[in-house]
Amino acid sequence: MKIRSPSNLHYPITVVELAKKRDEEVQRSSPLFSYTYESVVEETDRYGEAKSVKKKWPARFDSSAEGVVSQWFVKAGTVIQRPGIDIVEIEEPCTHEVQFGSLCANCGKDMTEVDYLTDQRNVDRAPINMTHGTLSLLVSQKEAVRADEEVKHRLLESRKLSLIVDLDQTVIHTTCERTIGEWKEDPENPNYDAVKDVQSFQLADDNIAGVGANSYYVKMRPGLKEFFDRVSHMYEMHVYTMATRAYAQKVADIIDPERKYFGDRILSRDENYTDKLKSLQRLFPTNTDMVVIIDDRADVWHYSDNLVRVPVFNFFPGAGDINASFLPKQQELITSSPKVATPESSPTKETPGNEGADAATYSVAAKPGETATTENTNGALTEIEQQLISMGSVDNPEVLEQQAKEQEKIIITQQIERPLLQQQLLLDKEDEGAEAAVEENGEAVDTQNGSTQTTEPHKHRHSLLHDDDRGLEVIERHLKAVHQKFYDEYRKGRKVPPGGRIAELKGSPKKRLESSVPDIKVLMPRMKREVLDGSTIVFSGIIPLGMDVQFSDLALWVKSFGAEVSTNISRQTTHVIANPDRKTTKVKKAARYPHIKIVNAEWMLQCCARWEHIDETPYTIEVDPAERGGSPFEELEDTDPGVTGDEDGADGVDEVPIDMSEAKWDDIDDEFQAFMDESDDSEDNASTDSESVRSEASTKSDSKQIKRKRKRTTGSTDVSEAEDSDASTTSTSRLQRRKKRTMERVSSLTNVVTADKSSGLPSPETTGPEEDTGELEKDPDPAGLAAEDSDPEEDDGLEAEMLAEFERSASEEA
Amino acid sequence: MFFLKELEKTIQLHPSYFGPLIRQHIHRELLTKEEGSSTGKFTIVCILDSFDISDGQVIPGSGFAEYTVHYKAIVWRPYKGEVMDGVVTSVIRAGFFVDCGSLQAFVGNAMIPSEIRFDANATPPQWTDNGDQVIEKGTNIRIKIKGLRAELDRMYAIGTMKEDYLGPLQS
Repeated sequence: MKIRSPSNLHYPITVVELAKKRDEEVQRSSPLFSYTYESVVEETDRYGEAKSVKKKWPARFDSSAEGVVSQWFVKAGTVIQRPGIDIVEIEEPCTHEVQFGSLCANCGKDMTEVDYLTDQRNVDRAPINMTHGTLSLLVSQKEAVRADEEVKHRLLESRKLSLIVDLDQTVIHTTCERTIGEWKEDPENPNYDAVKDVQSFQLADDNIAGVGANSYYVKMRPGLKEFFDRVSHMYEMHVYTMATRAYAQKVADIIDPERKYFGDRILSRDENYTDKLKSLQRLFPTNTDMVVIIDDRADVWHYSDNLVRVPVFNFFPGAGDINASFLPKQQELITSSPKVATPESSPTKETPGNEGADAATYSVAAKPGETATTENTNGALTEIEQQLISMGSVDNPEVLEQQAKEQEKIIITQQIERPLLQQQLLLDKEDEGAEAAVEENGEAVDTQNGSTQTTEPHKHRHSLLHDDDRGLEVIERHLKAVHQKFYDEYRKGRKVPPGGRIAELKGSPKKRLESSVPDIKVLMPRMKREVLDGSTIVFSGIIPLGMDVQFSDLALWVKSFGAEVSTNISRQTTHVIANPDRKTTKVKKAARYPHIKIVNAEWMLQCCARWEHIDETPYTIEVDPAERGGSPFEELEDTDPGVTGDEDGADGVDEVPIDMSEAKWDDIDDEFQAFMDESDDSEDNASTDSESVRSEASTKSDSKQIKRKRKRTTGSTDVSEAEDSDASTTSTSRLQRRKKRTMERVSSLTNVVTADKSSGLPSPETTGPEEDTGELEKDPDPAGLAAEDSDPEEDDGLEAEMLAEFERSASEEA
Repeated sequence: MFFLKELEKTIQLHPSYFGPLIRQHIHRELLTKEEGSSTGKFTIVCILDSFDISDGQVIPGSGFAEYTVHYKAIVWRPYKGEVMDGVVTSVIRAGFFVDCGSLQAFVGNAMIPSEIRFDANATPPQWTDNGDQVIEKGTNIRIKIKGLRAELDRMYAIGTMKEDYLGPLQS
């Protein structure tokens, strides 16, 4: 240890004599050298006159470490001017590299002792924890590097890599619902086949809210044993979970009873220091070049390059991840029914080719009810979670307590309300009702699906749970590929003398072996980037409003596969990922470019899960052929992508800057005016608004105002839609049809508005006095209109109030 | 090492316990709260039967009654240099953990004789000299305490195996 001049001396000091020679032993707090310093003091002579005198004082310097002096940096006569100058190097007998409970594991000394000589506490020498199961064993940076090196050598020797395995929803799925236990006992139950291998356990130390001992039911992902068996030849596996220690141990007992895959390499929330994140550095503090992670969530890993994100294993619909309450809320996505319905909809296996058709036919026959319930339960749960997360990620005990309570609540909900049982009952009911319908449809279905799919009458009842997850096969394929690639490169690197690749390997020591070890963080992203390289993707109706598209979960995910994500349709766009239930502007716009493929989110998920650019055909969203073909009128618009820019806002996408010429603006305004004139009466006040806007300079802020107006009024188009579409079927003009489409458009914003409207106040879509409001428009009602115009930020409640006022005055006039 | 020690404890009782069985309640409270607890210096192993309860005093404002109990107990206190037997709880590359009653000790690789090496490929992982000395989870082992540190309610120790007659016990 190097001793430097401390900050609490009276500088400058002059070394007088060294007390210890080189190679001499020195005890702690024994003198190292003596020195003198000068200071000014008051001196009074015998006549009582005070004088300031500069005096020289002798002092000695004590050693703050014990050991053998290995080198002096000062000699007698050296003047030390300031703190921080090297004085002496002392070789210590023990450098306290490993500490257990603040005791040095090598010499047994207490590391917390602090005295007048301490300039750096001994506990600070070992700040790193790299042990799985304990919090009290810490090591120094040097020791950590050494241990990492050792692991690396061992792994290279046995041709393995490290694999970090997440538990919940990656390799298992757990629920607390008692129903599973009952189904498991009952061979008659339609779910019996799926749940017969579910294992349960109880935790001794949780007795939640008097519900009694709480059983956890664990479903292993199909093929897990074989998966572990094969992967353990290529990888040394670690468990890293956000569940508690006790839970992790119990699950490990189930998935690895002999402890041959994981051993004691289990890391749980209790040893993770934080509830919010998982960190590779926790286990591999210095070297993460040979680590691969499998997890169903990327955000907790900060989208690490080592991560192989796996499709979520969701066996018990609606159960979610019971240990997720502590994690940050998963970004919500508007992926709708297909994802839920496809794997669950048909009891028999299906080939990817007719998947789409299957889902469609079945959802006609029996399924809509089921899908709906699933989503409802999901909603109920996520609502709780949402509330919880909105408390913010501040790490204070109150929040933690709240989170713990929320977790309890979720578990209790599962225990008492038993959503799965409810769903099954509902499903049974649906079945009975649908039986007849299916038989009628039977013929039609047969012809659609060809011979692969028989529509034999349903066995007896539909089962809610399906044991057909194939996620592990996919994961295994990736792990195999990564392993193969890693060791291919490793072999190549060893033969060829290390050249340019060294630069890529950061911080590798100058050993020959090290320089040729590839880095997973470089290698895996390269493999992934090939998948969707060159595609430019636009999301539409998928990512919720108010979220930065570029940093949304899906976008980050797809970007890691080499695709680019942009916010609006352009010539470069190759794919539009859309919500099949909603025809957004972007979809319509993309439909005019024949080269743009419009697909549902499932396509992207499949690509990302399989690491292949898969065929888009089964996932294509059907677009009206009329929209596919371009007309001269629309062609004109195509040349100017900015025109529809303001409408994009309604699709939940951030506003993009629009630059438009004055001439274009006139076009727009004309069209807008025409649209407003022909739309139903309730929108008239908006049209006056637009007129006033047009009279002003057409700046961007104005366009925003229009947009806001239109958004607000779209709520009322819901009702008038029917009559309007009736009218437009007769008309043949392009303009008319375009208008109709605009009217049909339902944005996510509309949903919010209608949801809020259930407050009891009269809402704008009350159909009664529509003509009245028309009259009213002609009537000068300055107060009402002024308020409407002046305050575009007003909330729905106020708006509703205003309209109520409108109607009242209107009826008075009538 | 075990000692017989006189101790004192202040117990507060909820008013609902006031009644003819009050001494039993105090007794039970004492046993459940104190036995097995660690003060940082020593662990209370067993409370002896004879003990003496002071007169109760009602605390103004809360209604709780406060009793001071004097009792004798067998306590256990580890010392530096003491040799003790324990059970291995966890084996890692850096050493292994031993539970000696209420004391958790760690034996690092510097404290393990050099002929005993870590074998990561065995299941479960173990420290072994490839002879009759095998240290794995659950092994009974004799160690000597090299260092001790007490925190508020627990103690940490560093153990060594590098002396004669220390190491796994033949059971």
